[in-house]
Amino acid sequence: MLVIQNLVLRRGSWQRRYDLQAESAAIMTIQGRSGAGKSALLAAIAGFEPVAAGDIQWQGQSLLSLPIEQRPVSMLFQEHNLFEHLSVAQNLKLGLKFASEATQQTALQQAAEALEITAYLRKMPQELSGGQRQRVALLRTILRPEPIILLDEPFAELDAYTREIAAQWVRATAKAAHKTVLLVTHQNEDVERLADHNVIFE
Amino acid sequence: MKLSLFLSLSVFLAVNPVHAADKPVLTVYTYDSFVAEWGSGPKLEAAFEKNCHCDLKFVAVEDGVSILNRLKIEADKTKADLILGIDDGLMEEARATQLIAEHGQAVDKLSSHLQWEDKSFLPYDYGYFAFIYDRNKLAKPASSLKELVESDAKIIYQDPRTSTPGQGLMLWVKSVYGDQAAEAWQQLAKHTVTVTKGWWEAYSMFLEGGADYVLSYNTSPAYHVISDKKDQYQAAAFSEGHVAQIELAALLKTSTQPELGKQFLSFLITPEAQALIPVTNWMLPVIEGVELPPIFSQLIQPQRIGFAPNEIAEKRADWIKEWRSAAAK
Amino acid sequence: MAQRSSQVIGYLALISLLLITTWAFYGLSRVGEDGLSVAVFTDPYIHSLLLFSLKQAALSATGAVVLALPVARALYYLPKLVGKQLFLAFCLLCFVLPTLILITGLVALLGQAGWLTPYLGESWNLYGLQGILLAHLFLNMPFAIRAFYLQLQSIPASSWQLARQLKLKTWQHWALLEWPQLRGRLLTVWAFVFVLCFNSFAVVLSLGGGPQATTLEVAIYQALKYDFNIPEALSLAWLQLLITGSLFLLMTRFSASAWLSADTARTQFLPRLTAYSRLIHQWIYGLAWLVLLAPLLALLPNLWQIQVERLAELAILKPVLTSLTLGVVAAGLAVLLALMILTPIRLARLAGQDKQQWLLETLANHSLILPAMVVSVGLYVWLLTQGRLERWGWFFIVLINTLILVPFALQQLKPRLFQFDDQYQRLTQQLKLNSCTYWQVLLPWLKRDLQAALVLTLLLAMGDVAIFSIFAKDEWSSLPWLIYTYASSYRIPEASVLSLLFLLICGGLVVWLERIKNH
Repeated sequence: MLVIQNLVLRRGSWQRRYDLQAESAAIMTIQGRSGAGKSALLAAIAGFEPVAAGDIQWQGQSLLSLPIEQRPVSMLFQEHNLFEHLSVAQNLKLGLKFASEATQQTALQQAAEALEITAYLRKMPQELSGGQRQRVALLRTILRPEPIILLDEPFAELDAYTREIAAQWVRATAKAAHKTVLLVTHQNEDVERLADHNVIFE
Repeated sequence: MKLSLFLSLSVFLAVNPVHAADKPVLTVYTYDSFVAEWGSGPKLEAAFEKNCHCDLKFVAVEDGVSILNRLKIEADKTKADLILGIDDGLMEEARATQLIAEHGQAVDKLSSHLQWEDKSFLPYDYGYFAFIYDRNKLAKPASSLKELVESDAKIIYQDPRTSTPGQGLMLWVKSVYGDQAAEAWQQLAKHTVTVTKGWWEAYSMFLEGGADYVLSYNTSPAYHVISDKKDQYQAAAFSEGHVAQIELAALLKTSTQPELGKQFLSFLITPEAQALIPVTNWMLPVIEGVELPPIFSQLIQPQRIGFAPNEIAEKRADWIKEWRSAAAK
Repeated sequence: MAQRSSQVIGYLALISLLLITTWAFYGLSRVGEDGLSVAVFTDPYIHSLLLFSLKQAALSATGAVVLALPVARALYYLPKLVGKQLFLAFCLLCFVLPTLILITGLVALLGQAGWLTPYLGESWNLYGLQGILLAHLFLNMPFAIRAFYLQLQSIPASSWQLARQLKLKTWQHWALLEWPQLRGRLLTVWAFVFVLCFNSFAVVLSLGGGPQATTLEVAIYQALKYDFNIPEALSLAWLQLLITGSLFLLMTRFSASAWLSADTARTQFLPRLTAYSRLIHQWIYGLAWLVLLAPLLALLPNLWQIQVERLAELAILKPVLTSLTLGVVAAGLAVLLALMILTPIRLARLAGQDKQQWLLETLANHSLILPAMVVSVGLYVWLLTQGRLERWGWFFIVLINTLILVPFALQQLKPRLFQFDDQYQRLTQQLKLNSCTYWQVLLPWLKRDLQAALVLTLLLAMGDVAIFSIFAKDEWSSLPWLIYTYASSYRIPEASVLSLLFLLICGGLVVWLERIKNH
């Protein structure tokens, strides 16, 4: 279980308090207006945002003392998810830990087919559209071995059709691998398609 | 002195002789033009090694001043057995390092007009500093240092801090002008083309047509006649007299083979070596009765002026400061 | 990124750089009995040479800036000039050109027996202030041209559209658009050129022509090599350190020079020119080509003066190989060290430790204000007292060149690494890359910049004479050293041939550098 307890984040005069819990292997969507502190919360869980007070616990252990590299977290940022100088295929292989090269290859292939990006694997990121890039990054974020997945507006640049297949794929894959997912979105349809719980930040 | 270098840049192409392991090595610090392919070094080396069963090894630095500097830095760790190429102006400063041993040679072999009595430093050649001009360009040369200083003729000379001719000019100006030396330097600076680091740069620039006079030696015309077959280059004789340069060799106390070192020193003043040096290092022999090419008898024979070595050692630093301040204006 | 080991390695690299410097000063202090000599600061000669150093640097910097402006404007206003890319590459070449090539060229052109000398009147003399200024202008004006041109290019198209809408006059273009754009850069370039000329060595030594035209750097060299006056040399070194150090601090307050950045060849909206001003710009451009090429072209006629059999005697191969090997090793080491040292600098930056970052960068750049001469002589003296000169000379030539080159490599790699951190720091941490994978990701990102840094430092290392002149033995020779020996003995044909060969090598490297940069 992911427990966020009396957590206080502060940036200058901006301050925000959080209290919430997510069951293991549950998908929680987070909604709220811009500036409500959605992204800041994800960043704090991942370790990028300093914590003023309170605690973040995973399976009963506090994450705050852990450096970024040791947290059980895989996060999708709003931008800069791909190294521009590496090919899509090279980018996808970073941070994965499969039992063997062969199983990794199969998993990547299946996921790429599901997200309809097999045609882009040999390309460089700058040759891709925003939506294509987003799906590539999403694929890697979900396939990584970490139990907690943080997605910051993962479908923002997708059209209605790809948005739907991406959401289906995320839910199916996350559930199959028992991932705990926190997903920030502005769209109600994402909530309907994916969420076990929905939280709205004021 | 360094004319020989002009013939070739072989210093940079020369290959160090391979040392035979079983022979003792005699290391001599000297200046670079001495060991040039056409310089005295290789010929003296060949002649000396014929009889010594040793390996004579020259280590060349830029000039006489550098030999002394290197000696000061290395002090008793030096690998040199002998030094060759400082002059009487630097003699006392070299003695002050307390590294110089006695040469053990009979000085009465030397020409009596040198009046040499020093027991540590041994002369191997000498010459007079002189301004060289091209007879084809300059019909009536200056007849005195004062006339030259007051003229507007373009001259090139060498830096007294790095070059022994430069230091020679400094002594020359000092002995002619005394307390008025600073004014003379300033006057000279008005028609000086450039002050070079070494003799070689200055002389090359002069031959390219860069000036009316260049500071060199009274022996320089001999080089042009013998090697170049040109006789338009002449030394100007000055009525005040000329400063002489006596080039010296000395044995070091740190040498592990003083006997071999003394053997080399005594070889330096043999008629064989003394006949070689004038036509390779372009200076005059220090013993009497050496047979020389006829041009040597036509060189100017100036009256000698200047200072005693201990006075030079005492005042050199102040005179250099006087020069650099005056010439900088 | 957060690999402890690479941070430790970075600190070790920085410490070893600082150790070399400390070692050099230790070498100097051991020989000088009574440390600094106060007499230096009251000596009128030192006053006059300090004044001369400042004067020639100020004149050179002002001249370079003033003359560069019209050329940069011509380049900017006429985007379709013939050979413009070549000209920009040529500007770069002039800036990194080994000074001896230029000195040989200037002597061949304007020296006592130069091609142009007969037309310059009786009183012309290349040696002295005029020669120094000419050489400095040639070396630094192209740098200023490039810097100003790049700066002008960043005037946004919208500003010009607005200017045309408002029907601004030409002088208003200058006052409202160009000048505000150039003002900051003008001062930086001026200060940069000033420091370069203040520290100039080979030019002043070769063209100074005596005590009336001596700079502080040359005086340090003379104090050490001529007078063997260690206290005076040390005092002068501190004086130089003080002056260049404060200038450097002033300079770092302004932004870093972007003169090497890629030429952004975007289509621009430019004001329409009258036929008359087009002509003027074209004329200025042509004149710039002619003037900058002249000293190099002056080397060419000497090719015909030299017989073929003499060429074989020149024994070119060995010095060429020596220079290349020396350069490649020193440049490789410098780039490697810079890369290592940047790790702690980047970590400090990411952690927001501004003061620590500043301190680390300043320490890494310390050799920029350090007279190369002082380091060389310090280590030389140490080596001599140890009696190890014969065996270790090469090692120290490479070592000191590396020390001097690190700041240049640092400057080349830093912006790109900072960009990497800005874009990808979170991602690399998120992906939990291990060291090996981390470098596999980083190196392809840096590839072009590593190449550029290598080529630039190689060019600078190959041009070195000062360090080589201290440690060189008779039988060693590098290409510039060989040129120096020929040029100083006035064997201009030989020096010219070697200079042209050297020019060819450097030109090739610069073309490569431009291709890397513009890709």
